[in-house]
Amino acid sequence: MLKAIILTGAVAVALVVYFSLSLYIFPQSYQSIEPRKPQAIVTDVSLSASDIALGQALTISVTGTNNGEDADMQFVSVGFPNLTTTYNIKILKHDFDQTPILIAPGELLSSEYSDTDSSVLAQYTSIESFSRPWEAGKTYSADIEVIPKTEGRFVVFIKSVALPHSWEQAHYPQDGTLDQQKEFVEIYSVQVTKP
Amino acid sequence: MYGLSRKLFAGYMLVSFGMLLAAAGGSWDITNHLLNKPETFFAPPHAVLYSGVASAVVGTVLVFSASKSAAAGKMIWPMKLVIAGVVMLISAAPVDFGWHSAFGLDGLLSPPHFVLVSGMVVGSAGALAGLSQSTKRVPSVLIIIAILPIWLAASGMIDMFSLPFSETEHFNFNPHPTLGVVVATLAFPFLISACLIGSSALAGKRFGVLSMAGAAFIVIGVLTSIIPNSALTSTIPFYISSIIPIVAADALLAFSRSRFSLYTAGAIVSLAFFMLYYPLITYTYNEVFESKVVWPSLIAQIYFEMIQDVLPLVAIPTAAMGILGALFIDRLVRKKKYSITTYSNWHNNTNT
Repeated sequence: MLKAIILTGAVAVALVVYFSLSLYIFPQSYQSIEPRKPQAIVTDVSLSASDIALGQALTISVTGTNNGEDADMQFVSVGFPNLTTTYNIKILKHDFDQTPILIAPGELLSSEYSDTDSSVLAQYTSIESFSRPWEAGKTYSADIEVIPKTEGRFVVFIKSVALPHSWEQAHYPQDGTLDQQKEFVEIYSVQVTKP
Repeated sequence: MYGLSRKLFAGYMLVSFGMLLAAAGGSWDITNHLLNKPETFFAPPHAVLYSGVASAVVGTVLVFSASKSAAAGKMIWPMKLVIAGVVMLISAAPVDFGWHSAFGLDGLLSPPHFVLVSGMVVGSAGALAGLSQSTKRVPSVLIIIAILPIWLAASGMIDMFSLPFSETEHFNFNPHPTLGVVVATLAFPFLISACLIGSSALAGKRFGVLSMAGAAFIVIGVLTSIIPNSALTSTIPFYISSIIPIVAADALLAFSRSRFSLYTAGAIVSLAFFMLYYPLITYTYNEVFESKVVWPSLIAQIYFEMIQDVLPLVAIPTAAMGILGALFIDRLVRKKKYSITTYSNWHNNTNT
């Protein structure tokens, strides 16, 4: 009888300790841990020319870095607001961990640095080069070739976003023009002239 | 032990050990996929998995040759299960290659993966049955080595039907989120209870074996699911605390032989299911409770946000399934007496 009481008491105490730890103590302690803070930066952008003839290819070289903590994913996006097709864009080379993806108008995109809350339909062509994960301090680059289809000013939007988007500096640039996803971009352009 | 029995015993042992390696390698591989770590044929998780398959194949050859040497080539059912399981495991490889060639990247649930995991469950169950029939008292370490692959492989099967990892370009085999939660809530507690109480039953309810089996499961979880994701390493103390209800259930079974203790032990270990299947289970319950994007670095935060809502809600069905698992093992133990008699007859025939 005494043995049964001791056993029951010991099991009961063990369970109280276990469920107190699992339901209250550990959750409180782990929920106070700050999420990682990656810092996305585009360190270099170069365009092969400032003026090109219609039909000529333009090469854009972009380099991105994560100056903060490890990111689960970070991408460097190059957008072409003058383009609505993808066939005149080529990735010449890249060293990202995954293959860059071409985004055509009509595809669903996240917006305002959010994962799920709001999404928008792409209105123009862009290319997203990403590494998943993107470790702290790592730098990746890509060379993209595009052939503008019309004369005039050919605009290129550049930005980088680290995910999860845990703080302000997880995106680059910090201010400027907002793109179709309501996210800040740096603007570059070339003049396309008649051949 | 006679020569033939020794060969059979070694065969079952190699199959169990091989399936354990394969299942642990598989679990590690899932974590690496989640983290998008670059994958090659020779990636460490693959090496562990292939070593396990090689060990299981060698074990099956031994089992098969023992069956051929037996009088009239008679094969008992554990042998059949082992051979069927390993044949399924091996045949899944070319099918998987074909599937990848036809459809590119695959998800967690695909026809070849289903065959592979089914083969692991069947083969490891056969090896455990074979071991328990081969000797009157299976050594403690062997009980753990034989139980774990069943536990891990069956967990993999439940994962396939509960985790939202099976949507690809061509197919969407993801379960409906609510169905995924129902499957996980009912199947994991049953499995934990059956495996842990089964290990205790195989050891004649002596204290320590159930605890060691639980500890081994926790160690494999830490090594394959937590340590590879550096964002989760601080949660290791939480994960290993699940040894507490396991030791409590072990003590209950070892020091009290009543049926009430059996059912209580089943309920106790099953209640730890939400903790034992951390971190992957976060993805299953997030679909219903949080609907967030579960980035690998945010798993812990999302999990600990949910735990206070989930556990009280699932406690009753979980405990009920744990009791069912205990009942299931109780029935098997009763049947085992019959199996031992059958095996003894077969054993006598093969050695005369």
